[in-house]
Amino acid sequence: MAQPRISAYLPPDIDPTKAALAFGRRALPKLNEELQSPELLSQQRALMALCDLVHDPEKVYQAIALGFLDSLKTLLVHQDQTVRQKTTEVLSIMALHSIGREGLIRGGVISALPGLLDDPVDICRKNTHQIFDRLAKLPEGAGSVLRAGLIPPLVLKLETELDEIQELILGTLSNCLRVEVSEALAAGAVAVLKEKLSHPSTAIRSKAAWVLLEISSHAEGKIAVCKEEVIPVLVRLLEDTQPEVQVNSAGALMFALVTPQGRSSAMGAEAIPPLLTLVAEETSKARLNAIKTLTLLAELPEGRRTLLDHRETFQRCLDDPSEAVQRAAEIAITVIDWKP
Amino acid sequence: PHTLEVKRKRRAQKQGARRNTLELIQPATPEPVEGREHVQVQTELYLEEISDRIIEVDGECQTDDFLDRPPTPLFIPAKTGKDVATQIEGGELFDFDIEVKPILEVLVGKTVEQALLEVMEEEELAQLWSHQRAFAELRNAEFAELQRLEEQDRRIREEKERRRLEHLEKLRKQKETAEKIAARAFAQRYLADLIPSVFNNLYDSGFFYDPIERDIETEFLPWLMLEVEETLQKKVLGRTMLDSLIRMVVEKRLDEFSHPPPPAQTKAPAEEPRAADAAPKMSGEADAADQPVAEE
Repeated sequence: MAQPRISAYLPPDIDPTKAALAFGRRALPKLNEELQSPELLSQQRALMALCDLVHDPEKVYQAIALGFLDSLKTLLVHQDQTVRQKTTEVLSIMALHSIGREGLIRGGVISALPGLLDDPVDICRKNTHQIFDRLAKLPEGAGSVLRAGLIPPLVLKLETELDEIQELILGTLSNCLRVEVSEALAAGAVAVLKEKLSHPSTAIRSKAAWVLLEISSHAEGKIAVCKEEVIPVLVRLLEDTQPEVQVNSAGALMFALVTPQGRSSAMGAEAIPPLLTLVAEETSKARLNAIKTLTLLAELPEGRRTLLDHRETFQRCLDDPSEAVQRAAEIAITVIDWKP
Repeated sequence: PHTLEVKRKRRAQKQGARRNTLELIQPATPEPVEGREHVQVQTELYLEEISDRIIEVDGECQTDDFLDRPPTPLFIPAKTGKDVATQIEGGELFDFDIEVKPILEVLVGKTVEQALLEVMEEEELAQLWSHQRAFAELRNAEFAELQRLEEQDRRIREEKERRRLEHLEKLRKQKETAEKIAARAFAQRYLADLIPSVFNNLYDSGFFYDPIERDIETEFLPWLMLEVEETLQKKVLGRTMLDSLIRMVVEKRLDEFSHPPPPAQTKAPAEEPRAADAAPKMSGEADAADQPVAEE
């Protein structure tokens, strides 16, 4: 018998967990109303639909213009964990687009997020940290994270959280500490990072080295790094098997060795041989950083003496395709050849 | 039969009821005379047995089990019209492969499009982050260079400052030494004839002396003078006392001559010998003092 239903299976587009989308321009306003409804199920369904829509930058723009952020902010503190999880997911996907990032910063979402740092559900916390990480990549975002006073809690969380969340926290910290470093030093960040440098996971090691790089680019950071004796650990990491860890630790050394105490402790830790191996490898990404670090060490008399024997390594670097490496190699050669 | 009975009963009842009423209304057949009996008799030609019971005959019938409806006999209507045949060959209606293409394209296309979107999104992000990292590396390298140069500059400046200060210090010391030498030479020359002049002065102001002479001068002569003074003072004292005695005496005498004479004359002579004793004693002491000094 002919029936209007073609098959017994429902068409694949219908997802009972998602709210039905209105057509065209009406979709987002309707979702906004559903988000504010008192019923839990409709809120959850609206959030699921929103998650999928937010991948599109135009929808993000429209959503922010419609004032979704206020309803999302109220939902951040909802009791139901699915609601919280989905809200944080929506916000983190919004933070992937530049419009979304600006909208989030302007809408003051960062001040509403610290409460979620202690959320019992892992994925909520992970999404929250993802939001911080993505927002901190913008200078205004980093500034607002600093102003919200989030650095001390983040440093504390670094010791207690799961590994993947730790990576996100380290990313956030590295971007924020580029701007200002005093709060983190007060919270004892250098000691925590020193521990993380010996973590088994590669990503955490490399990110911790990156954060140390950012810390040592400031003057008070350099002093703290020398005091906590992180330099020998960094020198040991230069011989690590993973290239990212090498790059980042060479970079951190590059900044930390600007001070005389740093230089002397690096000479004490015998940093020159591993740095020379890094420079000699043609394809190493750490070349630039290693050359810069060796330049710093060449300003010490003992360093210069050792490096005079390895002058050819630097000569070979002059043929590197990257322009920055060439320049660095020239500067290094000038410094080595300098006579007082 | 039953229903008939029931009906009869009912009819009888009704009739009875009617009869009752009729009897009340109308008289009934009079009662039989004595000796007679009323009997019901049929007067028709053919007598029939009248009984209450109707003659009934029982009859039965029963249906059989239901049989299936027998199949409809095949009805083949008479053939009318003309026979025409048509046959669809294999590939004529549609070519499955060709027709299915658009459907498949849509299906596959949509899936691939969705997948591409997702992959593109991730790739875009990865590109952004790698771009940012490359920039960050360059920036860090430049920044490190900047800091190194700053540090170098600072060191050089400090070194220069230190050297300058050292140099100044050196100059100052040199100057000081030269001044010291000049001062020393001058002082030596100045002091060259200091000693003779000093000695001269000292000699002139009497620092070189004969100790005995000095001793005599400083000690003996003052002592001598003191003693002489004492002696003289004693003499003066004696004279003063004498004066006072004389005064007293004179006053007393005056008093006596003005007043009646009291017995006070014995006192006056007693005091005179005492004063006279005191005077020679004092001169004796002065002589005694002179003698030891002369012995020295």
